[in-house]
Formats: sequence, structure tokens, C-alpha cells
Amino acid sequence: MGPISHSINFLEELQKSVGLFAPETALTVTFLLAIVADLIFRRSRNVTGFIALLGFIATGALLMSNSSTSAFAFNSTYAIDPFANFFKLLILITSYLIVVISFFSAELYHGNRKLGEYYTLIIGMTFGMFILCSSTNLIMIYIGIEAMSLCSYVLSGYTKEIRRSSEASLKYVIYGAVSSGIMIYGISLIYGLTGHLGLAEINHSLNVANLDHITLLVSGMMIIAGFAYKISAVPFHFWTPDVYEGAPVTITAFLSVASKAAGFAALIRFFKVVFAAVPAQGSIPDATWNMLGSIDWRIVIAILSVLTMTLGNLVALKQTNVKRLLAYSSIAHAGYMLMGVTVMSEIGVQSVLVYLVAYMFMNLGAFYVVMQYANLIGSEELEDYTGIGYRAPVLGICMVIFLVSLLGFPSTVGFIGKLYIFSAVLSFAGKNGQNFYWLAIMGVINSAISAYFYIKIVRNMFVRGAEFDKEKFKLSPESLVVALIIVIPTLYFGLFPGAVIRWAETSLKILVGN
Amino acid sequence: MQNFLGLGPLTWITFLPLLGMIIIFLIPSGKDEKGKETSKQLFRWVTIGFTFLQLIIAIGIYLNYTAGMTGINVEGGFQFREHYNWFTVTGLPMFGNVKVDYFVGIDGISAPMILLTAIVCFVASFASFSIKKQIKGYFAMYLLLDLGMMGVFISLDFFLFYVFWELMLLPMYFLIGIWGGPRKEYAAIKFFIYTLVGSVFMLLVIIGLYFGVHSFNMLDMMDPLKYDPTSIFAPGHGWWRNVAFFALFVGFAIKVPSVPFHTWLPDAHVEAPTPISVILAGVLLKMGTYGMLRINWPMFPDSVKYFQCFIAWVGTVSILYGALCALGQFKVGKRDFKKLIAYSSVSHMGYVVLGMSSMNSSGMSGAIFQMFNHGTITSMLFIIVGVIYDRAHTRGLDDFGGLANKMPIYTGIMAIAFFAAIGLPGMSGFVSEMMIFLGAFMAYPILTVISGLGIILGAAYMLWALQKVFFGKLPDRWSGPWDPTHKIYKTDDINAVELAALIPLAILIIGLGIYPAPMFNMMNATVNHLVEFVRIGGGF
Amino acid sequence: MGIGLTHYLILSGILFAIGLFAVITRRNAIMVLMGLELILNSANINFIAFSRFGGINLDGQVAAIFVIVLAVTEAAIALAIILNIYQNYKHIRIDEINKLKE
Repeated sequence: MGPISHSINFLEELQKSVGLFAPETALTVTFLLAIVADLIFRRSRNVTGFIALLGFIATGALLMSNSSTSAFAFNSTYAIDPFANFFKLLILITSYLIVVISFFSAELYHGNRKLGEYYTLIIGMTFGMFILCSSTNLIMIYIGIEAMSLCSYVLSGYTKEIRRSSEASLKYVIYGAVSSGIMIYGISLIYGLTGHLGLAEINHSLNVANLDHITLLVSGMMIIAGFAYKISAVPFHFWTPDVYEGAPVTITAFLSVASKAAGFAALIRFFKVVFAAVPAQGSIPDATWNMLGSIDWRIVIAILSVLTMTLGNLVALKQTNVKRLLAYSSIAHAGYMLMGVTVMSEIGVQSVLVYLVAYMFMNLGAFYVVMQYANLIGSEELEDYTGIGYRAPVLGICMVIFLVSLLGFPSTVGFIGKLYIFSAVLSFAGKNGQNFYWLAIMGVINSAISAYFYIKIVRNMFVRGAEFDKEKFKLSPESLVVALIIVIPTLYFGLFPGAVIRWAETSLKILVGN
Repeated sequence: MQNFLGLGPLTWITFLPLLGMIIIFLIPSGKDEKGKETSKQLFRWVTIGFTFLQLIIAIGIYLNYTAGMTGINVEGGFQFREHYNWFTVTGLPMFGNVKVDYFVGIDGISAPMILLTAIVCFVASFASFSIKKQIKGYFAMYLLLDLGMMGVFISLDFFLFYVFWELMLLPMYFLIGIWGGPRKEYAAIKFFIYTLVGSVFMLLVIIGLYFGVHSFNMLDMMDPLKYDPTSIFAPGHGWWRNVAFFALFVGFAIKVPSVPFHTWLPDAHVEAPTPISVILAGVLLKMGTYGMLRINWPMFPDSVKYFQCFIAWVGTVSILYGALCALGQFKVGKRDFKKLIAYSSVSHMGYVVLGMSSMNSSGMSGAIFQMFNHGTITSMLFIIVGVIYDRAHTRGLDDFGGLANKMPIYTGIMAIAFFAAIGLPGMSGFVSEMMIFLGAFMAYPILTVISGLGIILGAAYMLWALQKVFFGKLPDRWSGPWDPTHKIYKTDDINAVELAALIPLAILIIGLGIYPAPMFNMMNATVNHLVEFVRIGGGF
Repeated sequence: MGIGLTHYLILSGILFAIGLFAVITRRNAIMVLMGLELILNSANINFIAFSRFGGINLDGQVAAIFVIVLAVTEAAIALAIILNIYQNYKHIRIDEINKLKE
């Protein structure tokens, strides 16, 4: 094989890869268009937003068109598989809704702030998350995390004259950079141990060679720290409340849904591929991570999950700021989803996917209502919510639905998510009769605890202040339509979850190996 | 009974309130210049109309009910069955096919409960006239609650059951929380959390059972042959089955409520507005015992035997402790009429649990009949308390006395309710308590004798309260008319709306006391079947 | 005795530790950033040392270039954010910036 044929192969590979990379390319083009448009239409604040919406639709169409493809691109550093596709679509829907919601934000449109960069950065962040979902190489994962994080650091401090917002972005950038620094150090150790950066190759080396356990444990933990930071799992959660409280509501919602989803995508792919028992062909059978006899990674994740949800729920009990409360609740939800990761069987992964869909609708909805209320009363404090349900009844009812869905109430999509997660945990039967019944019990106890603070919001909105007859708020019909657009799937998929379950089920295929 | 528009009577009776709720939401709560809601009469009458329709359907169901059909674990034994597929997802890992059905039907256990729910909801909608604020929201929540309760009693699919079971929590939370008394927030959240804690464990058991039979159908879960022998609750896994039984039992016992899970009840009752107390005592508590009969007994007949003695003890303790608490309301100035009745509910529901633990037809049918009777009697008692509360704005037992002269008709009606609660022969309560004691005596003679003390204690606190409020000297503060303007209360005595709520209940109580046969005819076949099923252990 | 893999690893380990120490203990945001750079560079040393002495492939060196690029962007953004903090607070002592978390 001479140099010429080699370069031809390379060209073919590149051609193929570029084809597979179409959705990401579309996002990049949108990104560039948005920048140019922002330069041309200096007066308009929304034009980049509309370009983003159009770009997202185009990207979505491209994603749908190769939804069943399974192929590697760019020398096996990038996997286009149904699993990645699922997450990309989920993230894209979230980004779309976030852009739509941002149009209503009084906080962002305050004064004569320019919003061109805001929408542009949302596109950029979406791109970073796309990379993260598909990467099968640790360096690509790192690039994805950074691309996503860099945009989110700026976005969380976008309302830069507001002190708490700039504080949020400072905290986010420092904690975030440190955690990704630790992660890259872990990656460098793994590279030293195995000599590879590709997940599949690492898996291969782990299978054939007997590696030093301590080093492996340390480097594995360092890498997990990076993911855990993104999904805000205990003990890497400390940034979450501050950043969620300080950032603009739209960005808080975006971080809590999309960046968490992307983190889970990378985490699951990492575990599924790296710790696969055999260098498998195609998709992996259930016998995941039976490797590494001395380290039971399942228990590690299970403990992480219990800590995460317990801490999230217990601290949320005392919160007085709704955004901060929802931040802790989102930590708790990461804990529930980690229960699914613990099981790691097909149903475990599927339960995480189902839960993420549920979580997307209900959490976006809750933050949307929080934003609308902030527009109306200029506060996110629980106290100021007194009687607000009567002043904006439709939004109030929507909020109740979102909150009970977060709580896991039947007939909402949150219930389907919880049901699935608990089923996955209960169905697990490992070697030597290992089971995770205790984990499921911790989960349900936690969801009972969470009832208290979700209901606390409802209490302030409706139970208190029913007497005084304040004037009703005037809300634009569009803003109610957006609320309904999110509330209808929350209820519909709660009653007829077939479509969500099926979608998650067809998205289980993760590409591994060459 | 004919299907109407392709839907059976059970679907109609359950989902009619939803229709009513939508209508109420669509009616604007127009306000006049003074800020008064102008459509409040409309909301009231829409609710009364829909609950009346429900009652008509319930009576229709009763008239068309075929006595002698079994039910429990025989699909053919259920009447007015409707079985549609709700949603199906096929070919999933682990789950295989997820199939959730809309499967409803009634047998001898649920039929009386359907009747009871329809009656109590209808009656309580009259008592709702006393609600003055946020009327639109109130009636919408009222109807949603109605839907949830009906749904629980007709569901034969565990998934469906759970959906209704939880669904009813939320409107109840609002109804206590928004329209309740001074400590409403505390009472409402306590009720919510207690019930939720019970039901989350129920959820785990449901999932476990699902992995056993790969279906949410309750009847499948009662069939040992359908279980996957390796699954956690399969026949033979005695320990796990006992755990599951216990988790479910606790979930239901919280609702009953049995001691020691009863503490939410006095709070909820004291704070809830009258109609909601009526529904709470009249229907909601029965969902606990109903759940035990529908789910615990037939699904875990082996564990029932294991826990039988324990359950009898739970019943006995509830009877005595409830009665003692009611009697213990002796701190002058703190004696609350409603709390007294709330504790009497704990005591009376204890009889039901005791009767169910006997595992013989007499005790079981007594228990179901007692559920019905307690529903009607306590509803009456709460409406009665509501009547004087609306006028005097106090429920303190010490604030009253000698009301018999001021309100003669009211006193007469009250006497019926009180004597029924004590279990005077000729009233329905007597028959059911008799049956329970007969049955329980066969199984646990000593416990039954101890429980008999509950009757004496019950008579003591009831008569004492009666004497306190109605006899003796009328305090000076009440010597004038309740409402000097005569705008709201035209006379001092009870008014027509309140009578409309009370008279039907009084007739039922006396009627069933003299001639209880219709009730027993309805449930006999089912109860005998259940007793036999549990006796042979259902094959588990 | 020539300088081998072990020496590089020790160096990177020390750098990492110093960096982490700086991040945890320094109060000035700029110092924290510098600690961060140390962490990233310790990873770079690892990558290159493994690539050079492990004799496997060039992945490590490529990785190091990526890390350098990302470190630069990260520093740029972090500095911009710190500048903004300075404009709002007139100082950059991170332990005194805690309006949130009352």
C-alpha cells in the first residue's frame, strides 16, 4: 500500500465521514450564519434567534434522515449510532424550546442588551453536546465537553451587569475548568496504561493485559469526576445551586436538561464500551462491566446515586428560592438516573433514556413557568409566589402539572420515567444473587421526601393567598401557547407512553469496536 | 344495563365528573362590581347535577346487579366488565410486552362501595353550599376527587388502580389546604405525605408482581400458575411474599387509618371543610380496607394467614385506641366536636379490620357492610357538626348546651346519627357490628371480647357529647337567633339544603338497620368465594 | 542514568499536585487560573512522555496539542469573566464573592 492509495483511502474515509457528519455541519453553518447575520442586522435582537430555530429544524431533518445509521466516522473517533442520535434529537428539541422560551424572557431583553451572541452561543453549545454524544475517543470527549462548557460559561453570565449572574459564571468557569482538568489528567493516565485513547482500544487492552489496579481506579475515578460534574452528581454537585440560581432562567433550564443529557450520553457510552466484558462485535450483550474483579464499579455508581438523590432532596427541603430549589431537585433527578446507569443492562440504559425524555418536558416546563413568573413579579423567591396561582391561573395549573410530574405522579410523564427506573433496578439480577432492591427502596423513599418541597411550591401558589383578591396578570396568548406546548406532552406521554418507550428502545444500539 | 355511546355504565359513572369539571372550567367565574362571583350558583348546580347523574347510574347498576356472581379472581364473575387495551409496547428487553389495560368491573365487594361513593358525593355536594371562596376551583377539585374515588373502586388492573389511587391525592390536598381551617397547610401536607409514603412502596410491589406475571391484570396476579417461578413474588418465595404483603398492608392501613398510622386523620378532619370531611370519612377511608380486600387478601392468601393474628391485633388496638382518644377529649375548652368524630372513625374502621381478619363469611360480610354503614353514619355526623359550625363558628363541645330547645328537628336527626354510631339495634350499624363480632369471635374469642369494650367506650363518648351539646342550659351567647338578619338562615333550626343532605342518609341508616338483606344479597357470593379462596390458600 | 519516563511522571505528578493545591487554597481568581494551567500542563507532560517512551503511537502528542488549544480558549474566557467580575465587584477575591448561597 503506497502513499497514494493511502491518501485515497484517507479521502474516501473523509468523504464518508463528512456525509455522516451532516447534522453537525448544519449546526456549524447555522452558527456562522448567525454570526454574519448579527453583524448585518445590528438593530434586530431576534434575527439570530430565528436563524437558530431554522438551523435546528434543518439539523433535526438531517438527524431524522439517518436515524438508523450505524457507522464510524473520522477514523473511528466518532460514532453515528441510534444511541447518539437519540441524545442529539433530545438535545436539539431542548435547544429549540430554549430559544423559543428566550424570546419571552424579560431578564434577557432588559435594557438594550444585544442578544446576537446569546443565540449564537446556544447554537455553539448544542454543537459541543452533539460532539459529546458521539465521541468514541477520550480526546474527542474532552473536546466535546470543552466546546459545550466554554459556551455555557459565557451564557451563564450573559446578564453581566447583574452581580449574581457574573458570580454564577465565575463559579461555573472555575469549578468547570478544574473538573475538566482533573478529567484530562485521568485521561492521560489511562493513555499511559493502555497506550490508547479510543474507547474500544482501551477496552481491548483492559481485556488482554493485566493492568495496575490502583492506577486504573484512580484514573477511572478522575474521568468519572468529569462526567459527574456535568450531570451534577454528588460530590461534584457544589456548583449546581449557585450557577442555577445566578444564571438567566433560560440558561438554567438549558444546563439542567441538555448538558445533563449530554453528560449521561458520554458517561453511558464510556462505561458501556470501556468496561465491556468481551471485545464485542456490534452491540454489547448484557454482560457489561464484569471486568476488574477487584473494583465493583456497580457499587461505586450505586453509592454515588444514593448520595446524589438523598443530598439533593434533603437540601432542597430547606430552600427558599425556587430556582435554587429546582437546582437541588435536578441534582436529585441525576441521582435517579444514575440508578439506571448502575444496572447498565439494556433495560437500565433504556430507563435512563425514558427518564431523560420525561425530565426534559417537565423540567423545561417548570423553568419556563418560573421565568414567566419572574417576568411578572420580578422575583424567584418562594415567598413572593404567594397566591400567584390565582393571578395567572393557566400558568399556575401548568406549574402544578410540571411539579407533580417531577414528583412522579401517575398520569404524568414523570411517573413513567420513575416506574421505568425502578423496574430496571428491581429486574437486575447479578452474579451470586446480587441485587439492588435496597437501591430501589432508597429511590422510593427519596421520591416521597421530594413530595414535600414540590408541594411546598404548590402550597405557596395556591393554598396561600386564596383570600385576597389581587388583580389578574395579563399574559400574552403566545406565552400560554408555549406553556401548553410543553404541558401537553407531559400529560399525553404520561397516559400513553408507548411512543417514548419505543423511541428509547430503538435507540439502545451503541457502536463499539472496529 | 345498556351501554351508552359505546361506553359501559362503569366508565360513565367514573368519568362523568371529568365532564363536569371541564364544564366548570369553561364557565367564566364572572365577577360583578363588588367582586362577588356571579356564577357560583351555576357551579353548585352543575356539581349537584353531575353527582345526581352519578347516583342515578349507581342506582341503575344496583337494580341490574346480578346477585350470586362471584368475582375476586374469576373474570367471568365480574359484572359490567369493560376490558380495553390502554397501551401496548412490544418486544422490550426484560419486560417483553408491556400491556396496560383499561379493565374495570365490579363484584360484591366493589358494588356497595360504588353505591356509597355516589351517595356520599351527592350528599356532600349539598353540604358544599357553605363554601364561600374560590368556588370554581372548589367544585372542579371536588369533581376530580369524585373521579379518583370511583376509579379506585372499579379498577381491576393494578396500573389503573394505582393511577386513580394517586390521582385522588392531589384534589384532596387542595380541598383541605385551600378551603380548610386555621391549620390547613399542616393538615393537608401531612395527609399528602402519609399517603404518598404508603403508595410508593405499593409501587415497588406492583413492579415486583409485574415481573412475576408479566401483566398488570389483578386477576392474573391472583393465579399462582401465571407466575414466573424465578420471580421474586412467585409462589414458594414465602419471605418475599410476606414482605410484599406487609408493604401493601401498611400502604392501605395508612389510608384506613389503623393505629399507629392514624395521626393524620384527626388533623385532616379538624381542618377540612364539612363536605370534605364527609367525603374523607365517608369514602376515602374505605379505600384502605377495600384495597386490602381487593388486593392483599386474594393476591397473598398465604401471607394473610401468616399475618392473620397481627391484623386482628391491629383492628383491636385501633378500636380501643380510637375510642379512648375520642373519650380523652376532656380538656375543658379544647374539646373539639369534629376531632371526637374523627377518632370515632378510627375506632369504627378498626371493626372493619377486625372483621376482615376473621377470614369467615360472617366477619367479612360484616366488615364490608360496616364500611358502607360507617360511610353513611359518619357522613351524617360530619354534616351535623357542619350545621352548627356554620352558625356558631365554633366546634368546641364546651361552647354548647341545651340546643335541643333551639333546634328541635336538628336534634332529632342528630339523635338518629348518634344512636346509629353507637350501634343501637334497628340501625344499620348494629347489624354490621353484630356480624363482625360473630365472625371475629369464631376466630379470636379473646380479642373480640376485648374489642367489645370499644362498644361501651363508644356509647360513653357519644352519649356524653350528645348530652353536652343538646341538653342542659343554653349558653347566653346563643340565646338569640343564629343570624339576626335572617338573610342566610331564615329560621334557627336546620334549613332545607341541609335536610336534603341528611334525610336520605337517615333513611338509609334506618332502612338498612331493619332490612339489611339487599346489601348482603349483593355481596354474599363474592364474600363466600373470597373466604374459600383464602382458606385453601389460593394455591400459593 | 538518563532521564526516563519515571522522571517525567514524577514531574507531572508534582505539577498536578501544585496546581490542585493552588486551585483549592488561592483566593485570587488569577492565581486559581494559574493553578488550572498547571493541572492542564501536567496532563500534557503525561501525554507526551507516554507517547515518547511508551513507543506506541502519536496519539498522545496530538492530544497534547488539543489540550494546549483548549487551555488557551479556556483561559481567555475565564479572564473575560474575571474582568467582568472586577467591573461588578471591584475586586477578584473569590471567597468574598458569595452573594448566592445565603
